[in-house]
Amino acid sequence: MTNPPPMTAPERERAARERGAIDLSCRGPVLYLATSGVFWLLVGTALAVFTSAKLHTPALMAQTPWLFTGRPRMAHLQAVNLGWASLAAMAAVVWLTSRLCRVPVAFPALLYAGGTLWNVGMVLNVGGVLAGDARGVEWLEAPGYAVPFLVAGVGLVSAWTAATFGRRRERHLYVSQWYILAAVFWFPWLYTVAQLMVFGLPGLTRPATGVVQPVVNWWFAHNFLGLWVTPVGLAAAYYIIPKVIGRPVHSYYLSIIGFWSTALFYSWAGMHHLIGGPIPAWLSTASVVGSMMMFIPVIAVAINHHMTMLGSFHRLTYSPALRFTVFGAITYTAVSFQGSVEALKDFSEVAHFTQYTVAHAHLGLYGFYTMTMFGLLYYMVPRLTGREWLSPLLIRIHFWCDAVGITWYFVALSVAGWWQGRMLNDPRVPFGDITEYVLPFLFQRTGAGVLIGLGHVAFAALLVANLGGWGRPRPGGPTYFTGPAAVREGSTTPPPGPLPS
Amino acid sequence: MSPADFAVLLTIVGSIVLFGGAAVLALGWAFRSGQFDNLDRGARTIFGPDEPVGQPTDAFPGGDPGR
Amino acid sequence: MDRSLVIFVGALLTFSSSWLGLILFPYWQLQDQPPYQDTAAGGEAYPRPLAGQALAGRRVYEANGCLNCHSQQVRSQKFGNWWEDGVMRTGADIRRGWGARRTVSRDYIYDRPTMLGTLRTGPDLANVGTRYSEAWHHVHLFNPRAVNGWSIMPPAPFWYAREKVVGGQKSDRALRLGREWTVDPGYRWTPTDDEWAAVVAAHGPALRDAFAATHPGVIDLESPSGLRQLYAFWLTTEEEDYQIVPAAEADALVAYLMELRKAETPLPEAKE
Repeated sequence: MTNPPPMTAPERERAARERGAIDLSCRGPVLYLATSGVFWLLVGTALAVFTSAKLHTPALMAQTPWLFTGRPRMAHLQAVNLGWASLAAMAAVVWLTSRLCRVPVAFPALLYAGGTLWNVGMVLNVGGVLAGDARGVEWLEAPGYAVPFLVAGVGLVSAWTAATFGRRRERHLYVSQWYILAAVFWFPWLYTVAQLMVFGLPGLTRPATGVVQPVVNWWFAHNFLGLWVTPVGLAAAYYIIPKVIGRPVHSYYLSIIGFWSTALFYSWAGMHHLIGGPIPAWLSTASVVGSMMMFIPVIAVAINHHMTMLGSFHRLTYSPALRFTVFGAITYTAVSFQGSVEALKDFSEVAHFTQYTVAHAHLGLYGFYTMTMFGLLYYMVPRLTGREWLSPLLIRIHFWCDAVGITWYFVALSVAGWWQGRMLNDPRVPFGDITEYVLPFLFQRTGAGVLIGLGHVAFAALLVANLGGWGRPRPGGPTYFTGPAAVREGSTTPPPGPLPS
Repeated sequence: MSPADFAVLLTIVGSIVLFGGAAVLALGWAFRSGQFDNLDRGARTIFGPDEPVGQPTDAFPGGDPGR
Repeated sequence: MDRSLVIFVGALLTFSSSWLGLILFPYWQLQDQPPYQDTAAGGEAYPRPLAGQALAGRRVYEANGCLNCHSQQVRSQKFGNWWEDGVMRTGADIRRGWGARRTVSRDYIYDRPTMLGTLRTGPDLANVGTRYSEAWHHVHLFNPRAVNGWSIMPPAPFWYAREKVVGGQKSDRALRLGREWTVDPGYRWTPTDDEWAAVVAAHGPALRDAFAATHPGVIDLESPSGLRQLYAFWLTTEEEDYQIVPAAEADALVAYLMELRKAETPLPEAKE
């Protein structure tokens, strides 16, 4: 490691002021997106625990049609993926873009409008699904009347992001920015194309017919993970890990390979969800090839994240942000390897149609993405509000509930799913025996879900406390942090121009 | 080989040429224009005078970021 | 990398490549497949679009997320392997009786949406219309555990009306189901001790005779074991004053399920 460039006190002061001003400008819109995301996380968790309980105890609330297993299950999927994951992604995108482009937020109204449209869309979405307006396409259950709000909402945030890239003051684009720029383009396109091709627009486009529809469906569903959630999660990890431990990314070259191979191969995966089904065999094969090629970016990212951490693992003790993010990064490696193997025909012949797939999906979206986003929020929120988190104990409770919860969830359902698949493939095993075999694991899932939910409650309490003004003001100290308060008091002069590069 | 199969094959080969060619051109451009020069500096852009390399920046509330 | 345009164009190209490969090709290959008609045999065109109640039933199936637990696809003889006497065999779906053949793309040309499904928490339904009667479906929807004790499917009592029998004559459409399932729809009901004592006092001998008419053996009303036998028997008899009648959603859904016969009619392309 070379020596840091020489710096003077005024330079430090100026850099700190600049970042303080950027964070301050992010405060309103980013906290709005993040808090509403956490709200949907709580809604989604409650729906999840209920659905899970209903699956092993079907008589639960038996006379309530809007709690019939399928409806809360679809509402859960929409609430956590389009509510929590997407709003958290938008918050991350706005904050990281502002910081990395080194410009304060302009046109915050665009972001407030985008977030509000998205939230209105989500209320219609989750409410509509529970009321019985869901559409029978996995991951695209949102009723037709909710979709325009969602598309417009993310469209505004994407447009804002593109405009911010246009007015950036830092010439170099950091690796997180590549992922962000691609993701904010990919997701609105993906969602719009999927909606138009699966359902059509009356009078304008004809929907796909027959089995073309599930093909579009799984192209969307898998790319929601691959082209929206994963890029944003990786962007956050690529920023938080080096920043927290104060050490540049291990190999910038590898991160370029990782980015472009992700872009090229991830979007080809997905058809293995239809393996053995009534679709052309070449389609599954093309997708399996895509899944196999994913080893390249996954290994590149794994080397980068874990080699950057090498020698700094003791910092996991000190930093909550690092703890969550590294948990997410390690899980990313694990879940991606698993995913590539799972796409193979011999493997998915057993795993397909079982709880194994459910376990895998949760490892990806929860173990990797959600934990990484928690890491980002733990780092970001104090810098936006100018206040420390209220209680280290609650942070620890949050971490351990979620880490143990998702591990338990994953192990229980993977075991259950594997043997469920073996039994489903043996026609001598009566169907009732399979159900009875899986049942105890379904109870365990509820246990794991409650544990994860407890962690979420702890986090929500911390967030509400921080926003409500509880917690010590952030000290200046070694980071020379200029809190929003200091910037406000300083003067009304605009922040200083760019640093000499 | 039916016309439909031929069309599929043609499109596959065509798209390999198109996308592959685009990728090769892009890589060539990137090398020539110096996009891969001094990669190490790119990795350091997230650090600055006040949060330099070697400076941990996160800790439990009231805690020490450690060394 | 300093140019956002490069990243944008790259993202556009990679995205388009998968759209082209995974979406557009299958679209060209499979969109607007015609139905199959064996003109030589003078057979009817297959498949036929749903209409009327079955169409409304598909909407019920869709809105209630049935596809999250039930698939609608029969895999070929090459899929689903198990070991029997040291030999690996394949074709579990067909051997389970879920269909006479594999399902192919043509079976789905009128499905909107096409609910192939990705989980088999419950059995495959591609061909369920050939397996059960309408009456069976109604009892099973009303409370699946009345049919299969092990089932974890949620009951749907809200698609049925529990109404008082008027004029002593039950409707033809009333479910033939014991009182343990009908008194408290959605749950398995048992009487309190007092209620049971009242039943024995009022109907004991009549119940004993009814039992004797349909079962071997005679119940001794004086012995505890006889009373237990009578109790179990009474719970399986129908309620006298109330009946359970399907509402519109239940009728529609059952009509749809009865139309699910995707793996019955032979198709030339579905050989295995």
